[in-house]
Amino acid sequence: MKLHDTLKYLLAVLMITATLSGCAINKATSTVDPSADLSGLKSFHVEKYEKDKRDTNVVIEDKLREMGFQVADSKTGVDAVITYKDKWIWDITFYMLELNVSVREPGSGFPLASGTSMHSSLTRKSQEGMVDEVLTNIFFKNRKEGATNAN
Amino acid sequence: MQTSRIRLGLACLFIAWLTGCASPANRQALVVSDAPAATRHPYSVSVSTSGGGETGSMDYTNISDEDLAGAIEESITHSGLFSTVIQGDGADYRLNVSLINMSKPMFGMDFKIDMEMAWSLIDARTGDVVMREAINSTHTATMGQAFAAVTRIRMAVEGAAQENIRQGLEKIAALKL
Repeated sequence: MKLHDTLKYLLAVLMITATLSGCAINKATSTVDPSADLSGLKSFHVEKYEKDKRDTNVVIEDKLREMGFQVADSKTGVDAVITYKDKWIWDITFYMLELNVSVREPGSGFPLASGTSMHSSLTRKSQEGMVDEVLTNIFFKNRKEGATNAN
Repeated sequence: MQTSRIRLGLACLFIAWLTGCASPANRQALVVSDAPAATRHPYSVSVSTSGGGETGSMDYTNISDEDLAGAIEESITHSGLFSTVIQGDGADYRLNVSLINMSKPMFGMDFKIDMEMAWSLIDARTGDVVMREAINSTHTATMGQAFAAVTRIRMAVEGAAQENIRQGLEKIAALKL
């Protein structure tokens, strides 16, 4: 057995692992801080994630405009700042595995609301689909009520 | 043939070491029990949490909302920060903590987790927001602490959450209620 045989085995095991870990994981959660009122927010600035190479910020801006909000190029004077982190992964093609979006108070950066969606390979969504899901959950779906320990 | 099987076994072990099944954060590991509060507020408080989630076997280590709430309640009780912790309605103050962000490194010798939680404290009588803080914390679990990657990830998540709770309680202790 030579080195390339070992590599073949390793590759085979990696593929099996990738297949197993590619099982459908679907998560879509959002939360609004009880001290916040999102109904008064009309204008936003989207802060580009420094590792974003696929212009997710532009997709978020377009979606916000479609939802009827104003989008500004700078933080000055806006009601809230949107920050996000997108995570992409390769499985035949690159796709967005996870998107986390936060709606923040302009001055303090306090997260008034946030939402996360995660879809693994078998149930992957487009970049636009992920943005739509997260923003809809944040702004339009009933917020997830916080857990209060029942013990 | 036997050599092939050994190689295959080693490869499997290597993959298992790198990945493995995720386990949720342990509530007790999140509790801050060694930090008596600098200030003891003579009021009651209730705690609610959000943003956490369950941990699936093929998922990343997560913190459930229930465990986060329980750990914060226990930490408050240990520290004496408030006179009592009330579950449900009727408390003088309502503390809300949301898990906003958590980094999720997949591979590595050491796992560093960055975590952000939003802490807000509301005066239940007046409805006034007396504190809003975005608290960031970090914890690194090293190879020396655990061999299995999934264990190191869990320890890093727990450490970051515990540090976040510690900072959150310090912020509340600094308030004049």
